[in-house]
Amino acid sequence: MQSNRIGYAFISPWLAGFCIFTIFPFVASIYLSFCRYDIISPPVWVGFANYDELFRNDPRFWKALWNTIYYALAAVPLGIVTAFALALFLNLEVRGMSVYRTVFFLPSIVPAVASTMIFMWILNPQIGLINSLLRKVGIEGPAWLNDSHWAMHSLILMSLWGVGGAVITYLAGLKDIPVSLYEAAVVDGAGPWARTRHVTIPMMTPVIFFNLIMGIIGAFQTFTQAFIMTNGGPEDSTLFYALYLFYRAWRYLDMGYASAMAWVLFLLVTVVTALVFRTHRKWVHYGG
Amino acid sequence: MADRRYTALRRAAIVLLNLLLVGTFILIFALPSPAQRAYPKRIPVRFWHMWSGEWKDVVDRIVQRFNDSQEKYEVVALSVPGGSADYKFLLSVAGGDPPDCMAQWNQVIPAWADEQMLVPLDSLMTPQEWQDFQATAYPVALKIGCYKGRLYGVTTGINIWACYYRPDHLRAAGLDPDKFPTDLDELWEWGQQLTRTDESGAITRMGFLPGWYSQYLPVFGGSLYDAQSGQVTINTPANLRALAWLAGKQKELGYEKVVRFQSMLNTGGFATQWPFISGQYSIALEGQWRVEQLAKFAPDLEYRTAPIPPPKGGKAHAGWSNGNFMIIPKGARQTQGAWEFIKFWSGVDKPERAAEFYTWGGWLPLSSKIAQAPVYQDYLRKYPQFQTFLDVLPSENIEVSPPVPFQVFLADMTGRADDFAMRGTKTPQQALEDLEREVAQEIAKRKRFGL
Amino acid sequence: MNENYLFRLSPRQRLMTHAVLLVLAVPYILPLIWMLSTSLKSDLQIFPREGSSLSPVSLANLIPRPVQWRNYPDALKTVPFSLYLQNTLLLCLLNVAGAVASSAIVAYGFARIRFRGREPLFLLLLATMALPGQVTMIPTFALFTKLGWYGTFLPLIVPAFFGNAFFIFLMRQFFMTLPEELAEAARIEGAGEWDIFWRIVLPLSKPVLATCALFQFLGSWNDFFGPLLYLNDPSRYTLAYGLQQFLSSYGGKYAQLMAATTLFTLPVILLFFLAQKTFIQGIATTGSKG
Repeated sequence: MQSNRIGYAFISPWLAGFCIFTIFPFVASIYLSFCRYDIISPPVWVGFANYDELFRNDPRFWKALWNTIYYALAAVPLGIVTAFALALFLNLEVRGMSVYRTVFFLPSIVPAVASTMIFMWILNPQIGLINSLLRKVGIEGPAWLNDSHWAMHSLILMSLWGVGGAVITYLAGLKDIPVSLYEAAVVDGAGPWARTRHVTIPMMTPVIFFNLIMGIIGAFQTFTQAFIMTNGGPEDSTLFYALYLFYRAWRYLDMGYASAMAWVLFLLVTVVTALVFRTHRKWVHYGG
Repeated sequence: MADRRYTALRRAAIVLLNLLLVGTFILIFALPSPAQRAYPKRIPVRFWHMWSGEWKDVVDRIVQRFNDSQEKYEVVALSVPGGSADYKFLLSVAGGDPPDCMAQWNQVIPAWADEQMLVPLDSLMTPQEWQDFQATAYPVALKIGCYKGRLYGVTTGINIWACYYRPDHLRAAGLDPDKFPTDLDELWEWGQQLTRTDESGAITRMGFLPGWYSQYLPVFGGSLYDAQSGQVTINTPANLRALAWLAGKQKELGYEKVVRFQSMLNTGGFATQWPFISGQYSIALEGQWRVEQLAKFAPDLEYRTAPIPPPKGGKAHAGWSNGNFMIIPKGARQTQGAWEFIKFWSGVDKPERAAEFYTWGGWLPLSSKIAQAPVYQDYLRKYPQFQTFLDVLPSENIEVSPPVPFQVFLADMTGRADDFAMRGTKTPQQALEDLEREVAQEIAKRKRFGL
Repeated sequence: MNENYLFRLSPRQRLMTHAVLLVLAVPYILPLIWMLSTSLKSDLQIFPREGSSLSPVSLANLIPRPVQWRNYPDALKTVPFSLYLQNTLLLCLLNVAGAVASSAIVAYGFARIRFRGREPLFLLLLATMALPGQVTMIPTFALFTKLGWYGTFLPLIVPAFFGNAFFIFLMRQFFMTLPEELAEAARIEGAGEWDIFWRIVLPLSKPVLATCALFQFLGSWNDFFGPLLYLNDPSRYTLAYGLQQFLSSYGGKYAQLMAATTLFTLPVILLFFLAQKTFIQGIATTGSKG
């Protein structure tokens, strides 16, 4: 039909890009996951051997998987709630709001190189900001990134620092809510909390949905913080999946194995995403 | 009102954005042209390295000297950030466009040689040259640079670790700087006497901190590798003794306390504000490059050096070593040019000329011929503390990372086991047993994949 | 605007808002204040020497003593700043133009046009974001090398013009919230889809377009990996790459690193502060909705 043609015309930039830049690496990486590939010599087919090794003989794989899932379960909901709440505040018509907005967005701007260093300092066991403050109240803080029980939680806490981007998307969405809806709610006698629950949140569900999916995908691919700050330690407590994958690929030159790991992750994330997608009709409202 | 301000702002923003867009297209044409080469008519030899800051300047000087010394080649040096250099290098080899040579200090030569990623450098020598090389180079240079009997890396600087100590601290504690301990346990005792804590028990000055398994393994007579059989050896009595000793000392000091103390320090490997200088370490195990640094940044500091004393039944002049090695990747376009550069810098053919370069970086030389060159001898006279490292350099007791294809994996896992033992999460026995098991598993896996 | 009467806060509410935000803002701004303060310190003040107090992070210690302004010129001297800035700006602006334009077009297709295979294709789009880049790195690199783009800016610019999954997703969400009636009215008058897109949907979507532009700018500004991998000529490197070089200059020059980072971050902060209204401002035509 004509709308088919028009539709494809519109999405043609992405389709073309997909065919040129994405398909080959994608398919290649599937193929590589069934091979022994050390990057230099040509790949050698080994069938399911990589996957077999992965699931049966590699305890670090399970540890990394668990670490990453744990992080996602904690950081994603926390991030959404924090960002949404912040956005609600930052949407108010109070003087100086542009300054506040900049402040909350600032950390997202600072490059990972520096922000991780800053955080390593803040969490420094001896002369760090947090422990110094705790000491003033008489508590001896833990060694944070150096303590296998606290390292992961430090990273989860750190993730809240980067909600600025999500806040921006919420802010843009908040401004999009038609005033008429609020007017109608007021006419019905709804107070501010009720308005938030019955107008704001439902109208924001498309953006929440977006951030939920992006949050999941991002959480499962967490790499930089662990790479720079902890190298997976202490005692594998921050061994993220993507980090272990990196080691296997680039340090141990086991690219076939790493490709298998990547596809396991891919399938996992796709399944989770599809589930969220499936449920989305129930709770996401589009349109006026 | 607010409306008018908003519209004005919006207009300004639109104008600004348009200007930026126009500016971009102008920029495209004003783009800086690629860096001009100093000798555009010569054959370019691409050289990658990981030095930066003042070290990069030293490298640039050496490159300049090479370019001035001949007319055929021009070495073009590129400084790549250390953390990602291997990544970039591997990709470039895989992509078919590698540099012509690279200065590498990570423990990767055997692994990469096994991948057949590197050009065997002995193939670029005549048989006589190769024989001479093997005869004159220090054992450790061969240990690191060779794999399965062939040479893949030529060193431009070996690193040796030894004890630096502060006579002023020692004297203040009633210890005689002229009688530095010759036994490891005695050194530990000295360390205890030099350590200071504050009222809350936190350490303010560390007398001597034993740590880093790889360094102490050889000192106890242990080894991760058996050259005869070509096998990795992990859970041996000597290895266990070393780990147990280290873990025991950590426990005595208190692991938490040590962590907190160390976190206060500027512990960058080449940091100019080395805690030794600021007085927070009395005795520190460090590499020979510190001598050059101390000369530059703390010339008035009184310090001395001595080799790590072995425990009873251990080995003298032992320790772990690595170094800067020049490698040539397969697929390099200018193999011969790269080789000329390597010879020039490392002193394979003209040791007297190269000796000077070694002094610029405070590097330990490839062979005794270089060490005996007048320039180098002058350097030793100027910095007597450097002699200690030169004394240790020829020792056969120096261990290097086992030359096995999975050495990076081994190094990572060993570090992990070290960590477990230091924290006390595992007993040294347990840590070594687990390490042995993990390595065996990896070896079995490699076999299964036909590696 | 019309919303004011609904959202006007009482003075007490205004005060509470300020209070809450100030408290929340502290953990967000303190690290950056620390960064700024460190950038003006000498290395001696950053690390406590033997004998000094063990809490150099008291509020008093936030003040650099002495204020070492020369960290900034020193940092600028270590890398060819203006050269890197030029390269970075070029990459940023081209990427922004390409990514926003192409993503908007594609997003409109997914959001507003019913065509066969729309849902599965959209899922495919999402899926492409789920695969860790580490494993596609080599085939991608090989692809660019075969195309002859290794060593040029092209791998860092061209892909942007083919749509960015993240932006497409975001924009699609927004486009889907726009009421159908506007488009319907235009269709009845005989307007084609492109006209609707260009003349109706786009102008209404300024907030999301500006948001994406900002994100892309930020992404390109901070990207050091792309330049690291694909560029071999130092005269083509970017600011982010320069910063990375700083870090691995293991001289432990933390003060200079913080100075360099501050300089690096400043332009983006300014950009955000000035352009805020552009993407946070709502739709002007509130009356016609609902």
